[in-house]
Amino acid sequence: MTSNKFNYPDKEGFFGEFGGKFVPETLMYALEELENTYSKLKDDKDFIKEFYSDLSAFVGRPSPLYFAQRLTDKYKSGNIWLKREDLNHTGAHKINNTVGQILLAKHMGKKRIIAETGAGQHGVATATVAARLGLECHIYMGSEDVRRQSLNVYRIKLLGAHVHAVDSGSATLKDALNEAMRDWVSNIDDTYYIIGSVTGPHPYPMIVRDFNSVVGQEVIKQSKDLFNKMPDAIVACVGGGSNAMGIFYPFIEVQETRLIGVEAGGKGVSTGEHAAPLNDGTPGVLHGARSYLMQDEAGQVKDTKSVSAGLDYPGVGPEHSWLKDIGRAEYVAVSDDDALKAFHEVTELEGIMPALETAHAFAYLEPLMKELDSSSNVVINVSGRGDKDINTVAEIDGIEF
Amino acid sequence: MNRLTSTLSNLKANNQKALVAYLVAGDPDMDSTLDLMHLFVESGVDVIEIGVPFTDPIAEGPTIQRAHDRALKNNISLKMILSLVDEFRKSNKETPIVLMGYLNTFISHIDLVQATGKDGIDSILVVDIPGELNLETYGISNPNINTISLISPTTKENRVELIANNSTGFIYYVNLRGVTGSSNLNISEIENNIGRIKKYTDLPTLAGFGIKTTEDAKTLAKFSDGIIIGSSIVEMINEASTTKEFDRIGKYIKDMKIAIS
Repeated sequence: MTSNKFNYPDKEGFFGEFGGKFVPETLMYALEELENTYSKLKDDKDFIKEFYSDLSAFVGRPSPLYFAQRLTDKYKSGNIWLKREDLNHTGAHKINNTVGQILLAKHMGKKRIIAETGAGQHGVATATVAARLGLECHIYMGSEDVRRQSLNVYRIKLLGAHVHAVDSGSATLKDALNEAMRDWVSNIDDTYYIIGSVTGPHPYPMIVRDFNSVVGQEVIKQSKDLFNKMPDAIVACVGGGSNAMGIFYPFIEVQETRLIGVEAGGKGVSTGEHAAPLNDGTPGVLHGARSYLMQDEAGQVKDTKSVSAGLDYPGVGPEHSWLKDIGRAEYVAVSDDDALKAFHEVTELEGIMPALETAHAFAYLEPLMKELDSSSNVVINVSGRGDKDINTVAEIDGIEF
Repeated sequence: MNRLTSTLSNLKANNQKALVAYLVAGDPDMDSTLDLMHLFVESGVDVIEIGVPFTDPIAEGPTIQRAHDRALKNNISLKMILSLVDEFRKSNKETPIVLMGYLNTFISHIDLVQATGKDGIDSILVVDIPGELNLETYGISNPNINTISLISPTTKENRVELIANNSTGFIYYVNLRGVTGSSNLNISEIENNIGRIKKYTDLPTLAGFGIKTTEDAKTLAKFSDGIIIGSSIVEMINEASTTKEFDRIGKYIKDMKIAIS
């Protein structure tokens, strides 16, 4: 869908030395089937038309690029623009990918949909598109996340999907992914697995990126219309990295635009209690791909820590690892405390309540704007809205309902 | 000749089937694992398969997952497992040992795997690499260690040949679409698929996943070169984790051995 001189992954699914297909043999045929289907459909006029028509009428695209007056006034060193993915149907960028993947599932004749979810946004987005097509849907979610994202759990159930709480390991996103993969191995013939980020084995990182890159494509057009040049910087939060990859990808060859990914710094990168593999990890293999990973010397995956369920993941999409190593994107980390401060600040200054994930991107404005001059334009990808996080924030602030 | 290769070819020459038994190193503790390895051999096991614990074992069902978790609570590492094998080899130089695990733990210790001598482990089975890739791709090229590849019910015919050509130990046929410890074996599908594998290779083809009863074992032994049992043993190890009375496991293995003889 996106033509780009930066032509990755290669045919084995690698972005440089990252990516690949590291899965049990049973899954190989399903990945091949998906790859074949996608390579046929991605340039098919009818398929593209159907995808963009759903994005328009069902999701509500394009999402606005909104000028944040009061944030701009606060920093006084450049214009701050918000890419409003929070205004999408279901409240986050996640729907772009699920709308695309459910069309693949339909073309492949799959009757059963599974997905993992962290913050619950991907679970909601998957349950939504499955409901629309009347497909059976199962969502795997770590039991810790079921607790802290109870609102989204209820939304998923209202949409007719089954929620499976996962108790193994750290009971968060990575364990939900493990369990979804086990389900897929066991039900491979009739089941389509909608992975929710640019993670997992090839071809998922490519497919999820492509479906989400509608965000970056819109920003290119909107930047021309609104300020007649390309942004000086784009800032997006990175857990698995799908919202960041979606907005970064069309800009990879736009050299004047800095691409900045913000990871979850948890209690601080130096404490080791965080979820920032690009800042403090080493390459390893998890969930089907080689990428930066939080692991110990024995190759065991470390537990992560973040106030944000959607960023609480020890790995990251392989293309981000590649963009880091070739120096095309910068990856920084923001602590829980700074993200919470930004959550309140943006809500009060702009009347926009960002998801805690997104709040990490906002928090990075503080150091970033000091480096920029007043003629610059910065785009923040507002990956999702914060309604789902009200319980978490209230709990931290000591408020009981 | 590699100890695993010679053991399997001797069995074949005598028209016998191989019995492979699995446990997770360090579950419930390393001393028990060593005792269990000797018990396996005394009870008729031909090949010992040691599970290397990993935080994210995506191919395992709940029984073996929990065993991995228990072992990780004991901080079991590949380094400790290789020392355990050295200890075992002090009194047993005959029984082949296969390490089964996930790529990330092996590539974190390539130096140790490369340093393994003749009297160490005999084979590595990495669950999460495509069967047509071999361990050399990942920096593991120790002549003392051979490779076991998995073929599953969903493996297409064109890949069966690639994978078979790439395996040097035996072919591990995954009996079912699912994780370890699942049930519902489709016997005629297994028979057909093993027959298909044998068109492409003379390597022994062993059947694993979902084998619970002596009946299962007996049926599968008719058209495979042997069977692999894991979850049912791991469950019995767990049940005896406090008493350390593993006699029941010895009896179970003996019954399995009789069933496939």
